[in-house]
Amino acid sequence: MAAWDSFYRQLITLEGYKNVLQGLLNTAYIAVFGLLIGMMIGCLLATTKILPQKKWYVKVLSRFTDGYVALFRGTPMVVQLLIIHFVLFPALGIHISSVVEAIIAFGLNSGAYVSEIMRGGILSVDKGQTEAGRALGFGYGKTMLKIVLPQAIKNVIPTLGNEFITLLKETSVVSFIAVVDITKAFQNIANSTYEYIVPYIVLALCYLVIVLIVTGLIKLVERRLRAGDRN
Amino acid sequence: MIEIKNVYKYFNSLKVLKGVSTEIKEGEKVVIIGPSGSGKSTLLRCMNLLEEPTYGEVWLDGKLITPPDPYLHREVIEASKTFVKMVGEALQEDPAKSEEEIFEEVYRTIRENDLLKRHEGGAYRAALKAIAKDNYVDINLARRQMGMVFQNVNLFNNMNVLNNLIAAPVGLKLKTREEATEMAMKLLTRIGLADKVEEYPQKLSGGQRQRIAIIRALCMEPRYMLFDEPTSALDPEMVGEVLQLMKELADDGMTMVIVTHEMGFAREVATRVIFMDEGVIAEEGTPDEIFHHPKNERLKDFLSKVL
Ligand SMILES: Nc1ncnc2c1ncn2[C@@H]1O[C@H](COP(=O)(O)OP(=O)(O)OP(=O)(O)O)[C@@H](O)[C@H]1O
Ligand SMILES: [Mg+2]
Repeated sequence: MAAWDSFYRQLITLEGYKNVLQGLLNTAYIAVFGLLIGMMIGCLLATTKILPQKKWYVKVLSRFTDGYVALFRGTPMVVQLLIIHFVLFPALGIHISSVVEAIIAFGLNSGAYVSEIMRGGILSVDKGQTEAGRALGFGYGKTMLKIVLPQAIKNVIPTLGNEFITLLKETSVVSFIAVVDITKAFQNIANSTYEYIVPYIVLALCYLVIVLIVTGLIKLVERRLRAGDRN
Repeated sequence: MIEIKNVYKYFNSLKVLKGVSTEIKEGEKVVIIGPSGSGKSTLLRCMNLLEEPTYGEVWLDGKLITPPDPYLHREVIEASKTFVKMVGEALQEDPAKSEEEIFEEVYRTIRENDLLKRHEGGAYRAALKAIAKDNYVDINLARRQMGMVFQNVNLFNNMNVLNNLIAAPVGLKLKTREEATEMAMKLLTRIGLADKVEEYPQKLSGGQRQRIAIIRALCMEPRYMLFDEPTSALDPEMVGEVLQLMKELADDGMTMVIVTHEMGFAREVATRVIFMDEGVIAEEGTPDEIFHHPKNERLKDFLSKVL
């Protein structure tokens, strides 16, 4: 069990676990805050597509959303990350920690996906719900807020959950901009021991466990939201 | 009173309403009948502006709820560039005619041939604005006066029965939660569904849902109730309970406009029946006139099919 022993030594005796924990934390930060930013951007973008396309500025915003979504869905995440880190932020004279950069990059990226998810969710709510709200005297905004959005969100929780899991796994590319995430931490162990099997299998297990936990949480939320009001 | 003035509604090239005018007076129970696709629902939905008329106006209790239609206001047409130009031309052509005559003629020509353009100058815009301003009412306020009941019910799926009933009066700050709840419970008790107060719509039968949708509208204490085929989507055994509630409402003196295929109900409850055909009111009258002495051929044909 030489492979296991050298892994253990690197991880515990040489305090490699500190690195791993930091990596785990970074992965969590990037995924969670990335998604939160993504949801904010996504909701704003989705709004531009849902509003009645009558006023000229709504049309302009809606075109902007089209472009935004095309851009972020049409290029690989790593490329976006590299451009933000090596091109965009230096050009703008912005100097912040790579972790924050990664959060912003993932937020911008998932904003594109979330906007499509939210739009689908809102459109999936029967038009009659809106009409009933409006007919009772609610304005457009209140109808959205009180009647349509709660139903839309419930409809999209599973899809949003999937988006979060995808995002979580995709964060493994952040080592490209020198962020130590959980992948990078295990890579470091592997590189310093020249033993690859154990670290990478443990790494895979780590992701698997995290994803399983997240999946469980999503199911829980879903069930909570559904309690009572479904057949 | 709801006044429909010369309302047209186009869906792109599809002309669904082609010049409908009528008035719904206080206390009336107006039943709208007609073949499928004749524009009954569209007319009803124009009354509370769920559909915006392409031309024409809708007035509620003396207030304009649509944008003003220039063709319905002589002073607006007279302020237009087209009018000024045409009057000028007419004066040159026939100086003998009196000014009054020419004004009348040009006004008619413009009206009958839809001659107004998109831009007709500042005076025209000001005249339109003045009408809008004098008669302005926020559509969301106007809608509080008109309860609506839909064919497919549309109770809010994300709320239980009580919240469905109190959402609007509380959300629009017309009543406190306690007042609204008290009223909701009273109405629920009246229709015998007080035990369903915590239930979600999906758990109720179609008839129960529709009756709750009706009292949801009543919780806003509207002056008018609009019904769009409230029983058409129901299982036959549930139609009766909904019609019964509507009948009670009629007896209480509610002003009602009802699109329905229930001819028996129409005969019993209606004070006036409107027969729509191909986007116009083809005939209207008392139930007796419509059902026993129809004049319009299409109406006779329609009645022979449904009676
Ligand atoms: N939002 C819309 N967009 C396009 N066409 C529409 C729309 N609403 C209605 N129509 C069309 O307008 C026509 C009249 O519709 P309407 O619903 O007013 O008829 P109706 O008399 O109520 O018929 P029914 O008895 O079937 O309910 C139909 O041909 C319908 O397809
Ligand atoms: Mg209809």
